Parts: sequence; C-alpha cells; structure tokens
Amino acid sequence: MIPFTRHVKLSVGVLCGFALCASAAQAPQHINIKQLTTTVEDVVVPLPNEIFGALNKLGSVNWKQHVRSDKGPNFTERPRIALLLGTVIADGFIAVQAEDAPAVKDIGQRVLALAKGIGVGNSITPHAKAIIDAADKRNWDNVRQELDRTQNSVQQAMNEVHDEKLSQLVSLGGWLRGTEVLTSVVKEHFSNDGAELLHQPDLLSYFQTRLQAMPEFNLPIIREIQDALVEVKPLIDVGDRRIPPESVKKVNEITTRLGHGIVTRD
Amino acid sequence: MKRFAKVMFRTSSLLLVLLALQPAIFASVDDAQAFALQAAEPYVKQGFQVREDYWGGDLGSGEKKAVRQQLFKGNEYWFWLGTEVDKAKVSVHVYDSDGKLAEESDGWEKGHFAAAHVIPKATGSYFIIVSVEESPEDRTHWALVYGFR
Repeated sequence: MIPFTRHVKLSVGVLCGFALCASAAQAPQHINIKQLTTTVEDVVVPLPNEIFGALNKLGSVNWKQHVRSDKGPNFTERPRIALLLGTVIADGFIAVQAEDAPAVKDIGQRVLALAKGIGVGNSITPHAKAIIDAADKRNWDNVRQELDRTQNSVQQAMNEVHDEKLSQLVSLGGWLRGTEVLTSVVKEHFSNDGAELLHQPDLLSYFQTRLQAMPEFNLPIIREIQDALVEVKPLIDVGDRRIPPESVKKVNEITTRLGHGIVTRD
Repeated sequence: MKRFAKVMFRTSSLLLVLLALQPAIFASVDDAQAFALQAAEPYVKQGFQVREDYWGGDLGSGEKKAVRQQLFKGNEYWFWLGTEVDKAKVSVHVYDSDGKLAEESDGWEKGHFAAAHVIPKATGSYFIIVSVEESPEDRTHWALVYGFR
C-alpha cells in the first residue's frame, strides 16, 4: 500500500478548486438494503481511537487510569501473539489519549517485539521508531497515525504470506481491548449516548464468523472468546432500544475477563 | 545485420505497444487508492484522521458496490472514492441500516473523484454505496478511504 505521507506532498490546489466547483448528483433518498447482494465481505474494523474519540465528546475521561504498559508474558503460539499485538496497539491509543509519553514509548517497543515474534518485525521497525520519536515530541496526532500504520503494516505483511486469520486476530484483540475500556468508562459515568457506542452487532457477527473459520487455532483463549461473543451479542444487538447500565456492566465483565486471558499465560 | 535490424524493430515496436498500454496493464487498486487519498488530503488540515485501511476492487460502468461500515455517533466522517481512470465518473453515497440516505448535503463528485460526508445520528452499521457511473474502460479500479474526527 502507498503511505499516506506521499500523497500529502501532492498538489492540493486543483483539488481545492474542484471541491469548490463540484457537486454531488442527486442520490435516492431511500434504497432497499435487503436487495444489496454485492456487499464487500471484509469490513474495515474501526480503530479503538474512533470509539475513544466519540467517547471523549461525551465528557472528560480519565484516560490515565486505563493506561497499561506492562510487558506481560511472551507467547510462542502465533494466534496468541496476534491477539496480544492487537491489544497492545489498542493500549497505544489509550496511552495517546492519556498523553503518557513514557507509556507510548514502552508500547512502541512492545509492539516491535511482538511483531518480531510473529515474523513481521521488519515491516514494523520504522513505525515503532516513528511512534517513539513522535512520543518524545509529544506529537499525538503523529503517534495516532503511526499506530494505525503499524496495525495496517502488520496486517498487510500477514496477508501477503496468507496469514489472514492472524491478521483478523490482531483486529479482534484491538476491538476487545477497546470495548473493555469503553464499557469501563461508560459503567463509571453512565449515559445513554455512551452506552449506544456499544451498538456494534454487525462487527460482532463479523468476528464470530471469522473465529468459526479458525478451527485450526485450537486454543483455550480462542474458544473462550467465541463463547463470550455469544454472550455479548444479545446485550448489544438491541435494535432501536437503549442499552441499559446492566448490559454495559456485563459486557465490561466479559471483556475484562477476556482481556486478562489474552495477556496472561494459560 | 538485416536480421538484427528486424529483431530490433520488432522489439522496439513491442516495447512501444506495451508503453502505450501501460496504464491499462499496470493500473491497480493501489493507483485508485492514491487518487482517493489525494481527495482526502485537504481534509487532514481540518483535523480528519485518514485511515490507512481501505476498500477497493473493480467495477464495470453502471455497477455499484455496497460496503458496510460501523460508524459512531459523536464522530464526523468523510468517505473519499477515487479511480485512476481519468475519464471515469464515480459516485459515493451513504445510507443508514434502514436504507435512508444519511449523508450531509456537502458531498461532491468530480470526474474520477467523489466524496460523502456523514455525521451519524446513531451508532451502528451504515452502507456506503460506491458506483462507477461512466468509464471508457471495461473494468474500472476503485478505492474508498475514510477519515474521522
């Protein structure tokens, strides 16, 4: 993939010009979603940062209490490393929210070590360096961008060697950690808008489908996550109804338990 | 010598043909992505974080593709669609899970670029419909990137 920075250097004058003169053709006000048979299969899993950004707008969050930068154990099973890697990248976004430069730097090193453990260290080295440099300069936007690039590079490198399933586990690890922190924040200061951020049933179904296609990863933590997602689904798949405080608490218990399982040796 | 000249002539001709066909042969979704990112660039200055991840593929003229995406209430999103096919016309529109148009009115289309702006009224799944309206090519690469703030 072509890095975004290359495009930043491209001429913008023409684009500004056409943005001013262009207009969108009239789109239908309604479409029949059920007739959409050509949906792209892969969804782009949102970054934890997307959820945290929305959460921030609901009120101030004490991000420091959610920062986690401990090294944790080293695993040899690649699926476990992939899950942990996703979790640690999510921890990077949390440390950025907390503007905790030492934690971000520790996480940068940890990401690199895990990427090496899974055989994609080479593609991560420049990003890990950029994360550490940007944290030193307290340039948080750059750290966020580099964390996104890190995750993307890891997944691209995995996909290139047909390790798509590991790539999906990286996304899942990040989503679980993001959901753990989201529910922890909303549980403490409940609001309907905060709880609504949990309304992600299609994303959950996407992960369920992907996990079902990984029978070769016969690990207790994978089975535990599969079972847990079945528990979580009815709590967040509520249609137009509101997600109550009890559901937020329950999802938090489940994701905290899974988070502990991901970072702890069996 | 005459034979050598013939071989040289044929090789050069083949190279010229290849050069002429180069955009069609070597164009890829990555090129389309480069254009989508070009369209996104001015918005970075407005504080939008553009995701590294993207969707892409190829479509024939008049074909559409739907992409499902989780959006969060409280965030603001732009979706940018691009193709490397100069004379193609593309469009992108965003609908909520009930099939109701969910975009703001400041979306735009200009030849091989298009963009849609969404400020979600609810957290949930949305459908981004990309379309190649017209194109001189049989199949037109497209790429969709998005940014949020």
